[in-house]
Amino acid sequence: MIRTALAMSGLGGLVVAFFAVFGGMALVTGTGVIVESGLRSQVNSTRLTGADVVVSARQLVPRKEDLPVALPERATLPSSIVDRLSRLPGVESAVGDLSFPAAVVPGQPSTSGAVTPGTSGSTGPADPAAAGHGWSSLAFSGGKAVEGAPPRRDGELAMAGARVGQEVRVVAGGRPGRYRVTAVIDAPGLYFADSTAAELSGRSGRVDLVALRAGRGITAQTVAAEAERLLGDRYVISTGGARGDAERPGTAAARGMLIALPASIGGISLITVGFVIGGGLSLSVNRQRRDLALLRAAGATPRQVRRLVAVQGCVAALAALPPGAALGYYLAARLGELLEGTGALPPDLPLTYGPLPAVAAAVLLFGVVRLAAWTASLKASRMPPVSAVAESKAEPRVPSRVRTGGGLLLMLVALGLSATPLLVRGEIAGLGPATAALLAIVGLALAGPMLVQAAMGALARRLPSGLSAPLWLAVTNTHGYALRTAGAVAALGMMVTLGLSVVLTQTTISQAKADEVNAGLADVASVSAPRLGGVPHGLLDDVRALPGVMAAAPASTTTVLTRSLAVGDDPGLHARTAMILGPEAGGVVDLGVVEGSMGELKGDTVALDADLGEVGERLDLLMGDGTPVRARVVATYSRALGFGALVLSRDLAAGHTTTGLDAEILVRPAAADLSSLAKTWPGAEVSRRAAASIADADATQGLVNIAVLAVLIGYVLVSVANRLVATTTGRVEELLALRRLGATPGQVRRMLRWESLVIALAACAAGLVLAGVPLVMLSVGFLGRPWPAGPLWLVPASVLVVALVVWAAVNLPVRRRHLAL
Amino acid sequence: MSDVVTLERVTRSYGSVTALDDVSLGFPRGRFVAVMGPSGSGKSTLLQCAAALDTPTSGTVRIGGVTVSGLNETRRTEVRRKHVGFVFQSYNLLPSITVEENLTLPLRLAGVRPDRAWLSELVERVGLGGRLRRRPAELSGGQQQRAALVRALAARPDVVFADEPTGALDLRSAAEVLGLLRELVDELGQTVIMVTHDPAAAARAHETLVMADGRVVDLLSAPAPEELAVRLTRLNGVLT
Repeated sequence: MIRTALAMSGLGGLVVAFFAVFGGMALVTGTGVIVESGLRSQVNSTRLTGADVVVSARQLVPRKEDLPVALPERATLPSSIVDRLSRLPGVESAVGDLSFPAAVVPGQPSTSGAVTPGTSGSTGPADPAAAGHGWSSLAFSGGKAVEGAPPRRDGELAMAGARVGQEVRVVAGGRPGRYRVTAVIDAPGLYFADSTAAELSGRSGRVDLVALRAGRGITAQTVAAEAERLLGDRYVISTGGARGDAERPGTAAARGMLIALPASIGGISLITVGFVIGGGLSLSVNRQRRDLALLRAAGATPRQVRRLVAVQGCVAALAALPPGAALGYYLAARLGELLEGTGALPPDLPLTYGPLPAVAAAVLLFGVVRLAAWTASLKASRMPPVSAVAESKAEPRVPSRVRTGGGLLLMLVALGLSATPLLVRGEIAGLGPATAALLAIVGLALAGPMLVQAAMGALARRLPSGLSAPLWLAVTNTHGYALRTAGAVAALGMMVTLGLSVVLTQTTISQAKADEVNAGLADVASVSAPRLGGVPHGLLDDVRALPGVMAAAPASTTTVLTRSLAVGDDPGLHARTAMILGPEAGGVVDLGVVEGSMGELKGDTVALDADLGEVGERLDLLMGDGTPVRARVVATYSRALGFGALVLSRDLAAGHTTTGLDAEILVRPAAADLSSLAKTWPGAEVSRRAAASIADADATQGLVNIAVLAVLIGYVLVSVANRLVATTTGRVEELLALRRLGATPGQVRRMLRWESLVIALAACAAGLVLAGVPLVMLSVGFLGRPWPAGPLWLVPASVLVVALVVWAAVNLPVRRRHLAL
Repeated sequence: MSDVVTLERVTRSYGSVTALDDVSLGFPRGRFVAVMGPSGSGKSTLLQCAAALDTPTSGTVRIGGVTVSGLNETRRTEVRRKHVGFVFQSYNLLPSITVEENLTLPLRLAGVRPDRAWLSELVERVGLGGRLRRRPAELSGGQQQRAALVRALAARPDVVFADEPTGALDLRSAAEVLGLLRELVDELGQTVIMVTHDPAAAARAHETLVMADGRVVDLLSAPAPEELAVRLTRLNGVLT
């Protein structure tokens, strides 16, 4: 059976199916690796390696019928727990661990080692936003004092790369001060006396984590079980690899992004893979139509014919799965590097490479292949044997009406949807064009044959009579074999549409966002201190006191969870980035206040996108550390695209962020002379343009979309080229017939060149229209002009790529010997 | 009477197999000649070389006064377009265009404007009037072959080659097509060279060439089908 199946298939059809499955496998496996990493990857435990068990507050908020949301800000525990845990049987020691911003003020002699300890063998320098700890945590980090005595009082410090007795200037918890080094240690970070650490952290009687060490001969699991019995499920008790999660909630929260990434483009990928595999197999079946018909005439049952086609598909799939999986893992690794390069994926959150994605992808693709083979062979297998033989040569078939009607309807709906940016503004308006592009693509695939037939028919009738024979033949062939041509036209048009609409929608929206940010932050400079872990106390007052500074306001961002605020939002809890501003920000940042006043941004208050609510409303929020709050809306504003839907008051956010420090100080006017700050505040950095980096997450998403899209487009291009090559080689008889009727080899080649031009032009025209209409609407809605922002050279580039691929796939396979009589 | 197609010492070998062995022949104008012979006798090769579809290994082929054996592919095609018409066993009509477009396709390829009066005369003669706007697939086999006949004659060629023109047809359609071929020769002065293995078909020709082992072994003038059948059976017996 298998041998017959393979002998019949001919290589051409199988090669097409092979490439379709190969590429599909790579895409699905790659996506799977990202998803699995999002679900199961573990943060490398970087610091508390000496702790057997780590107890932390819950950093996950469960959602109905959805994955829980990870809270990026540190949720704390009452320090009273430490004592209770230390009394548990089997616990040798317990410590309440704290991490807070701490950094040695740069520019001092012989303390550079504090930032980059070379000897510890640990994973690089400590993050200044969380480098400060209490002395008793040191033992749990695997470090020890090399020299000197532990810090016991305020003003004492242990660190690496300094001398005992040396005085260093340190900013800890935002407070600048002078500390005397009492001990030299072999671990990164700054260690203070426990009481000093508790005060500097500003946690007031709470701790970040409790680290436990098990007694001799007692396993971590035993201790974990004891702790669980004591605490119940209010807290998270981690052992082994899970400790890293507890240690770094921000990093763990990045995992959510890994799941969200493929979700956005995974749908398109799967649709594409399905189309490509289905198309490949149906091509293979069509090539064997006659043979299958003969089989039927020779007594094969329809079932046997279907099984034969299924065997062919499965053999191609089996051959393609292993190399496809390998490519998938490779692509995932590249994507991981890309994400790390843009800072979206923390380096201590490595991707997980398990066998699961490959297995799942194999099962999924096998199912797709079986289904596609079944669908493709259904018609051929059901024909009565006689008509099977008779019909086997009649290639021009009429596309079904339902199919055409459905396709046209989808395209109309798509064009309607694309008008949303004219009516709505804001993040959600971008969804319209994106969905429109998807619908339009499916519509094009369905209505393609009829459209190609109609368009080419109209063209053929209007052709002047003196036209050259090759061009005339090219047009009439494209018209007569509409089904054959339309597959290529639809697939290529789809790529043009997808490529242009995804990229240009993103760049247009980013441009609109950037425009709003620039307008809102016109004439504003920014002062920040990333090397100190955040803006230290006192810097704001110094900035305000500088001559020429008219106004200065601190700003930072955090993540809060809200219920759905607008139509189209997640119905459940929704994590969103929010700016934190104080009442004085109104004089610096212009959010385009519609109602209320930024000056009221005191206490438990927020400002809100004017489209989402009104002044005086109450809004229930979960802060970034999981604390539920109810806030009053005191202002609404219009520049939500650039500044986000929500702005929190500093009072509301206080105590709910990990660092407790502001990220930057916004200063007006930008021309104010801030150069003296560098002297008085080493570590402070001045930037002429305010960053207000609220759109970073979107930018990453966009980049990843484009990267995945590039892979996807490559996949489809290869598969379309494959199909065109198979079609052309299947036409050798037809070309020979033309030769016998008096066509010179040159005329046949010219005909093929015209055909490829016609196909390429039709594909580009369809793609440009379907991408262009939504993009024009989007640009009018967002930028107030009809053309999108971004790399417009993509338009000629995509036309060129399509033309080249079609030309090569149609013309190159025809060799001299194919045209010899 | 001058010969339309002449072969001088034509040999065609495929590797070690000699399909046509030093054949010299002339086909006179206005005659209907059948070429017969067992499978492998070289009759198809003779047709292909005589029609300039194939290039002989040695020897000279002249069609309508033009020596074609030394020409390249493109030049040969141009000579064929001008001087030669074809009728194939499998009709060779393009399924994607209408019957009418099929009829004028060779003219279109040659860049020649079709002679409308001549075409409609031919169409009437073969009885295809009213079917010109159909697709080939909507026609019966006999009708398709008749369309192919019109196509072969549209350029007023010097000679029409027919390769098993009735091979795919039922008896009645075959008889019709053969009748038409004979009519063309008798009434319009056409020259037709037809390869066939059907003695009944060959019997409609003026002359029948019999081939074996790459050589012309016999030339029969208006033979009866029975006589031909006997000749062929004997040749087959010799071969086997």
